[in-house]
Amino acid sequence: MARVGVDVGGTNTDFVLECEEGIFYHKLPTTLENQALGVVQGIGEICERNGISISDIEMIVHGTTTATNITIEHNGSECGMLTTEGFRDILHVARHKRPHNFSLHFDVPWQSRPLVKRRNRIPVTERIAAPSGEVEIPLDEAAVRAACALFRKRGISSVVVGFLFSFLNPIHERRARDIVVEEMPDAYVTISSDVANVMREYERFSTTAMNSYVGPKTAFYLRDLAARLQAAGISSRLRIMQSNGGISTVEACARKPVNILMSGPAGGVIGGAAEGEMAQEANVITVDIGGTSADISTIPDGRLKVKNVRDTYVAGHPVLTPMIDLVTIGAGGGSIAFVDEAGAFNVGPRSAGSNPGPACYGRGGEEPTVTDAQVVLGRLDPDHALGGALKLDADQARKAIKEKIADPLGMEVEEAALGIVRIINSNMALAIRSNSVARGVDPREFSIMPFGGAGPLHGVALAEAVSAKDVIVPVAPGITAAVGLLKTDLQYEHTEALIMPLDPGDEAAPGRIEGATELLRERLTADLDEDGIDPSLRSLTFAAECRYFGQGFELRTAVPPGEITAETVSGIIDAFHDQHELDYGYAYRDAPVELIALRGIGTAQSRRLSIPKIGKGSQGDVETAYLFTRPTTFDDGSTLDTPRYDRSKLGAEVSLKGPAILIQQNATTLVPPGYEAVTLDHGNMRIRAI
Amino acid sequence: MNDALDTATPSDIDPITLQVIRGSFETIAEEMAHVLYRMSFSSIIRESQDLGAGLFDAAYNTLCESESTPMHIGSIPGYLAGIEERLEDGEWHEGDVVIHNHPYHGASHAPDLAIIVPVFHEGKLVGFSGNTAHHIDIGAATPGLIIDVPDVFAEGMLLAGVKLYRRGEANQTIWNFMRRNSRTPDLLISDVEAQIASARLGARRFSELLDKYGERTVFRAADQLMDYAERIMRQRISEIPDGEYQAEGYLDDDGRNRETTLPIKVTVRVTGDEVEVDLTGSADQVPTAFNVPFEGSTKVAAFAAFRKLLLDAELAETRVPSNQGSFRPIKVTAPLGSIFNPKAPASASARFAQCNRMIDLVIKALAPVLPERVIAGSSAVLSAAAYSGVRDDGSYWVFVEINEGSYGGRPRSDGPDGIDSLMANTRNNPIEDLAMHIPMKCERYELRDDMPPGAGEFRGGLGIVKAQRVLTAGSITHESERHLEAPWGIFGGQDGAAGSCTLHNYASPGDLEALHSKFSGLSVQPDDVMTYRSPNGGGYGDPLKRTPAKVLGDVLDGFYSADHARDVYGVLLDLDAETVDGSGTEARRMEMARGV
Repeated sequence: MARVGVDVGGTNTDFVLECEEGIFYHKLPTTLENQALGVVQGIGEICERNGISISDIEMIVHGTTTATNITIEHNGSECGMLTTEGFRDILHVARHKRPHNFSLHFDVPWQSRPLVKRRNRIPVTERIAAPSGEVEIPLDEAAVRAACALFRKRGISSVVVGFLFSFLNPIHERRARDIVVEEMPDAYVTISSDVANVMREYERFSTTAMNSYVGPKTAFYLRDLAARLQAAGISSRLRIMQSNGGISTVEACARKPVNILMSGPAGGVIGGAAEGEMAQEANVITVDIGGTSADISTIPDGRLKVKNVRDTYVAGHPVLTPMIDLVTIGAGGGSIAFVDEAGAFNVGPRSAGSNPGPACYGRGGEEPTVTDAQVVLGRLDPDHALGGALKLDADQARKAIKEKIADPLGMEVEEAALGIVRIINSNMALAIRSNSVARGVDPREFSIMPFGGAGPLHGVALAEAVSAKDVIVPVAPGITAAVGLLKTDLQYEHTEALIMPLDPGDEAAPGRIEGATELLRERLTADLDEDGIDPSLRSLTFAAECRYFGQGFELRTAVPPGEITAETVSGIIDAFHDQHELDYGYAYRDAPVELIALRGIGTAQSRRLSIPKIGKGSQGDVETAYLFTRPTTFDDGSTLDTPRYDRSKLGAEVSLKGPAILIQQNATTLVPPGYEAVTLDHGNMRIRAI
Repeated sequence: MNDALDTATPSDIDPITLQVIRGSFETIAEEMAHVLYRMSFSSIIRESQDLGAGLFDAAYNTLCESESTPMHIGSIPGYLAGIEERLEDGEWHEGDVVIHNHPYHGASHAPDLAIIVPVFHEGKLVGFSGNTAHHIDIGAATPGLIIDVPDVFAEGMLLAGVKLYRRGEANQTIWNFMRRNSRTPDLLISDVEAQIASARLGARRFSELLDKYGERTVFRAADQLMDYAERIMRQRISEIPDGEYQAEGYLDDDGRNRETTLPIKVTVRVTGDEVEVDLTGSADQVPTAFNVPFEGSTKVAAFAAFRKLLLDAELAETRVPSNQGSFRPIKVTAPLGSIFNPKAPASASARFAQCNRMIDLVIKALAPVLPERVIAGSSAVLSAAAYSGVRDDGSYWVFVEINEGSYGGRPRSDGPDGIDSLMANTRNNPIEDLAMHIPMKCERYELRDDMPPGAGEFRGGLGIVKAQRVLTAGSITHESERHLEAPWGIFGGQDGAAGSCTLHNYASPGDLEALHSKFSGLSVQPDDVMTYRSPNGGGYGDPLKRTPAKVLGDVLDGFYSADHARDVYGVLLDLDAETVDGSGTEARRMEMARGV
């Protein structure tokens, strides 16, 4: 039986095929007009090339940017919304805060490109009382039907229902949904208590509106892809990577596409975590460097961190869904270096993309990029990029850096090129810090794991900048993200608002928590049943989101398994104090703690892709792997004759001292002087200071 | 400091190290702010994020500040100078934590408490880590906010250079004093603890930076970053033709003397690469709290005006670092004894509207020479409302919220609706959060559609309407402005609409009592509802030039009526078909252009 991972990126679609015969990779340009075309074509090709019958494919795991791209390109569905009378503009006012402090000409994305236009936000009479949750004013059902008539007239078929206090009682939202479905049987409907059953109206409505905004197109894409695969004779199960790092079914994602807005980068983080496990490193910081951006994630103890949903934004809109804790910054191979009007030296976030691309691509790009700097420094060989598939023009790279940076700043070209690399590394290092040190994580206990084709050129510099302990280079850095797709579990997540003081002496507390846990358990079980998961393969875990009474932000602590007792409650309280101290450096140990919500996570283990070990090598491998020697400039400014090696020819346990450059099909690794690279059991590699 | 290092270091830090240190500064400031609002308990800090945090050198220059709310940005140096005048023991020790809020010793206003931690490097005081945050209640004359009070002593506890910790030892006396002198002691104490955690974190990060790069490099880099910000500001100022530019407006009243409006006169003098904001001709100081502390607020607002106008973050390719440098070419003048520079012991707590109007008038004054940079008149006020009552156990509940306004039309886009304006940039308090903790109920919160926004090729923004109902008896104090003078239109754009405030009881919705823009300690009964409407912004450019499709969109969105579209914009619509009547519009616009 075989499995395929498909990672669709902005430039390329990467395929990984895992079968009894081994593990195979394939790459196609992304079919931007419909990602499905390239996906179907590529799966056919990778099977054919490796002599695998498509009927042998048992499962396809897919990371997609379809939903994300809708939010970037602003081409989602025209939506209608039903909302509580008197509160028509919650989505328009948002949190009434401007994106910039010092600007008069600022853009307000939620007003200039609203998820739902005001004309289509229809207020209806209804009211749920707070904090009791009782119905105070019944729902005006006639008004709901009248709104549907207007939506029909306007050709709207995607509907959002967001009522105040629905997290206390969803009865009105559910009734309104039923009426909409009656009136508009083909409509795509999202109700707020379904997608984000928590307090804070703006964030909840925004999440709901985002679901209906990306919903119809994303659902169409996913179902169309499933149909095309069927038509091509590929009848295997199709699973989609979610933002939280778990995979889910086509139908579940079609209903809640807000869960796959970060489907793209999630695979990379999982791939990095799996590589960490393979290298027997519990603590890794993954740095996935692409053309325009770098995704950075801190993984302590081999466990992916999921963001507090209060911190999750997509395209300027809050979206309260679990997402892997990663930061994305505008730093990649295509990031443009420039000198601004007051003479400061900047790199990024603007990028040359793949068209025209860096100056060295020779496609008309005149602005110097990070890739150009790598060429000038002799770290990327013009004749060996992407395994020689892409020829680079060193003269264009040098010219761009000279004219745009070196001459204006009165520097040598090499000095300017080195500056570009050091600034971009510094930007990435700061982002790493914001995702690690800023949360009380000590990078000295972590390995940097760089990937993406150019990632391993930056690995050692980043490790030095953040004082990480060493660098782990994955087996195949260019496709680590695609590999990650085959290393994850099925995962569902549900939240139940439960606002109550946490008091060990409160005899009713364990029962209430148990009740909410039971509800979550039922929903998770239903999801997993639908997927036909064997009960023995399931795992259900629960977390409590707590805060000190009167605070505004919750922190998450695990709920110990088993029956909820007074001890469990005490345990949650203590764990919360500790978490608060860890995150903020202080705990109010005497202050009362309040529970805000319970979160349930249901996972089912899928078979993980396993990468075979390579044979033990000998120091003689170094000679076999030797390609040629060229001058290369390192971060300390020294230019040294630096040998190049074919990484695929190095056996396990072979060590190699810098200066050296390791070349493989889809990536280049830099080993500076003073560092040593050791090949590990799977062909992965550790680089550390000697 | 190491002498050898002193002489060996070149005069300039290389551009790369400079960017690395700048990035570190900015990350530290944001981290400090993050910890503060995440930890805090009062909604004005945790939800509204009415706070500022940063690092400062020993000469009180700002090295970095968090991008929180602009009124706090640039205010902390004033606090530091004020602390120096009154510092307990007369000197700083390692482990000290100082609290300060005295408006006549540099504070922005009394409710903004500063917490300052000194930073020592190799045994020497090299700088400070500090933050400011708005506290709900510091025991002033009325709960939460004050307007009509006799003097500064009615503002509550005044703290000047007071050590909460001395050499790491808590000063229990002052903690006890603070706890006994607030209506909301738990919020006050917990939030001060959050401020301390944030300031200590900043101090630790500052020390790490000094250890890593050395004192000299860090401070040289800071100096260079200040010079850089100054250089950009000077370049921008020099692009404005030399000259004297004026604009005037007026404020409703001082919160006590209802018949007297208060003039604001702004003169902007541009000479080469320097500029002076002269407020001479503005009202004399007033006998209520409606005055502006000069160091902590007037100057801070004038600096901000030029950052917005000349270093617009949206238009600039690069971000200018948030430090003192950009302030150096700007001089601020306000006669002592005027509303912008009051003499002790006048109270100066309710100062926001004056600051915002001053910025708005700086923009108006420069409109003739900067037509592509200015925008039409914004709401340019602030509505801060304090609701309070006493629970059965004798304890107070107090809720303070900031209501938003709107922006004027702009050269390339409409003014944003329902948004904090100019110096304000807080976050609103979620309606659902309010109802879970406070005996209040929000009855209405949406864009105000009772009055059209200022018409123009680019229309002004709409203000909001917010109706808050109290469920118990209690009192309300409201600090607001602009019930009289509407935001101005420009270049053919029309004026927006003034604000308003009313009170009624939920049981008799038709029975409205009109309220002044400022009032203190208004007694309210259960189910009384205060309804506030914030001003609509002015229009930019001729309404007849507005794209008809945008006018149709505005009418469909309910921003104004089809009649208004026809009368002011000259656009005729078919509302059933939801289309523009193209030929009718063309004819109507030609008629209007001819003055028919």
